[in-house]
Amino acid sequence: MHIRLANVLTIARREYLVRARTRSFKVATVFLVVAAVLVTLAPLAVRRLDHGSTAKVGIHASATLSFDPIARLDTTINLPATPGGTGPFTFSTVSDLAAGRTAVDKGDLSAVVDIARDPAGDLAFTIISKDGPTLRIPTLLRQGSSVLATTDRLLRGGYPADQIDSLGIPPSVSVVGPTPPTPGEQPKDFAGELGGPLTAQALVIFLFMAIILYGQWVAMSVAEEKSGRVMEIVLNAASPFELLAGKVVGVGSLGLTQYVAAIIPAAIALMLQDRIAAFILGEAAASAAPAASGLTPSLLIAFAVLFVLGFLLYAVLYAAAGSLVSRMEDINSVVAPMTLVGMAGYFIAVYTSSGLIPGDAAWVVVLSYVPFVSPYLMLSRFATGLAGPLDLALASVLLVVAIVICLWVAARIYAAGVLTYGQKPSARSLFTAAFARRG
Amino acid sequence: MSLQITDLRKRFGETQALDGISFAVEPGQVFGFLGANGAGKTTTMRIVLDILHADSGSVTWQGRPSTDLPRRTFGYLPEERGLYPRMQVLEQLVFFAGLYGVPRKTAAADVRGWLTRFRVPEYADRRAEELSKGNQQKIQFIAAVLHDPDVLIMDEPFSGLDPVNVALLKAAFLEMRERGKTLIFSTHQMETVEELCDAVAIIDAGRLVANGPTADVKRSSGKRVVRLGVAGDPELAWLAELDGVRVGRSGRDYSEIEVVPPRDPETILHAAIEHGERVTLFEIADPSLEQVFVDLVGRHAAPDEERTLAHLPVSGRA
Repeated sequence: MHIRLANVLTIARREYLVRARTRSFKVATVFLVVAAVLVTLAPLAVRRLDHGSTAKVGIHASATLSFDPIARLDTTINLPATPGGTGPFTFSTVSDLAAGRTAVDKGDLSAVVDIARDPAGDLAFTIISKDGPTLRIPTLLRQGSSVLATTDRLLRGGYPADQIDSLGIPPSVSVVGPTPPTPGEQPKDFAGELGGPLTAQALVIFLFMAIILYGQWVAMSVAEEKSGRVMEIVLNAASPFELLAGKVVGVGSLGLTQYVAAIIPAAIALMLQDRIAAFILGEAAASAAPAASGLTPSLLIAFAVLFVLGFLLYAVLYAAAGSLVSRMEDINSVVAPMTLVGMAGYFIAVYTSSGLIPGDAAWVVVLSYVPFVSPYLMLSRFATGLAGPLDLALASVLLVVAIVICLWVAARIYAAGVLTYGQKPSARSLFTAAFARRG
Repeated sequence: MSLQITDLRKRFGETQALDGISFAVEPGQVFGFLGANGAGKTTTMRIVLDILHADSGSVTWQGRPSTDLPRRTFGYLPEERGLYPRMQVLEQLVFFAGLYGVPRKTAAADVRGWLTRFRVPEYADRRAEELSKGNQQKIQFIAAVLHDPDVLIMDEPFSGLDPVNVALLKAAFLEMRERGKTLIFSTHQMETVEELCDAVAIIDAGRLVANGPTADVKRSSGKRVVRLGVAGDPELAWLAELDGVRVGRSGRDYSEIEVVPPRDPETILHAAIEHGERVTLFEIADPSLEQVFVDLVGRHAAPDEERTLAHLPVSGRA
């Protein structure tokens, strides 16, 4: 097989330029850039929401209390979610209940909690709020109320007042695996567990969309040339293999361009995360907060590798499929098998990263090395910390092997398919075409 | 050294598309490749171009097998017309030339030269889909010649062109011949073949039925044609008495009479005078290529319909 690289590049160049000029490409690129930056900054946004949602709540004591209710609430339900952050409430004392009602009505306070005592001597609470009883603020305040009631009962029962504060200190709880860690082993980093699944899901969706979208482009481009009958002119100048390779490289480069266009702003956002955090959340909060677990450089590299290999594998088959149809309308039916396999991998990966399917189940682990589904599953397992660089490398090697085999088969189907008009190719004629001895 | 086509055979499933085709095209010739629909013309061309592989037989140009020839040896105008609809004319022609290794600048300059020749310089920046079919065909002709091929193979280059564009294309053909190029084309317009072609090959159902210089092929049947005009007797009823004579076409001014050997065409003149006719025209000529074609192929030439290949053709260049 004699391949002229110049022809592959010429074909790839045309494919790239013609597609890059289309409006749909430009719109999709802008959309992806925005989406990538948002994904990168999502953890920050979550913190910003936490930070900004401090609700002002007034406390009115109708009953006489032997402790400070605000201090109790601040050390229980109002603890900050992140060290150095602030809790969900800012409590203040309200001396006039009627004025408190007016403040809630005007929106100056989110709620007022009136603490009274019932005939039995227990504390009774009235939460004045515009929110219904099941919404976040009333729900949290109800938890706070039971803390206050318990504190009151304990004190009335003779519990030492100086030990009340230590009641709220959380006990020591550690979560460990079934095998004890070997000495010297790094403790497992659970910091990524919060952002990990979210990022993994976003990346798997991104990868799936890219492979399906760019794969369809390859198939359409082949079918377009065939149905437009340009194929014969091109075939006199270039071999079917060159044409196939050129298309895959051209569309693939375009996909990479889009990817890089989305990644650069995302990477900048990632590097500036601390400064953006300082800007949004304030200097102290940013320095005290742990680095948000969004996209990490190693995850980006894993994504790039799986994207390129996954795309190549699917694209050569999409090209072969595209060469079999004479009319554009028939594309969907011939690419359906690839789309179905891709979707299977995609769904398993999404369920795995969201925890619905355990990411360390034996069949998931095995499938994460199997080409066609490995791009999705390995990405998901890598992003959630269940697979390491070696697993990624092994999956990549297997993908490369699969690509070489598929390229060989696809080039033969393509060579046979591109000049065949009219009939729907049968499985048998395809097999014959792909494996026939060359004259 | 010629383009030598030797004993080509090709089968698509049940159909024997080519059944031992052999002929030669001399360098610098304009060569007409004729045949009825489905005779195997396109298949032969695709095999010569190494787009299809023959089951057996060989194609050589200047002694080298076509599989070893550089791709730029051949220029091809396929029967299936097509361009990239949304690409600008200049851009796609430069792309096609680029596949043959023509530098972009050279190609762009040549494209503008050709467009000017074809009186459509303003098409350079238009998208192909904006052009009429005839104009798209001119663009495709340019695509076939841009890389300066030695051999130009064209499947039905004149179909769908108006007379003005036919004349432009014929002029381009003659110029290519003057540049020393070899031109092979198929057509159903026999007048064009007679006008342009030094030699022809006629195939029928995958077999060669006639081949040689155009004049020789026309004479190959031995028939002659007499054009006879007489005053006041369009019927020429007396001709029926003569053996080896058939009225091919009767007209107002003269009739065309096919004369089959051993009858001597001159005897018709004698017979006319004997019957007291006043002869206004008497001319002995070769039969037209159209007549030869119909005699050999048994059908009238008609434009090719779109056909479906029975089975998957397999290219050898994967």
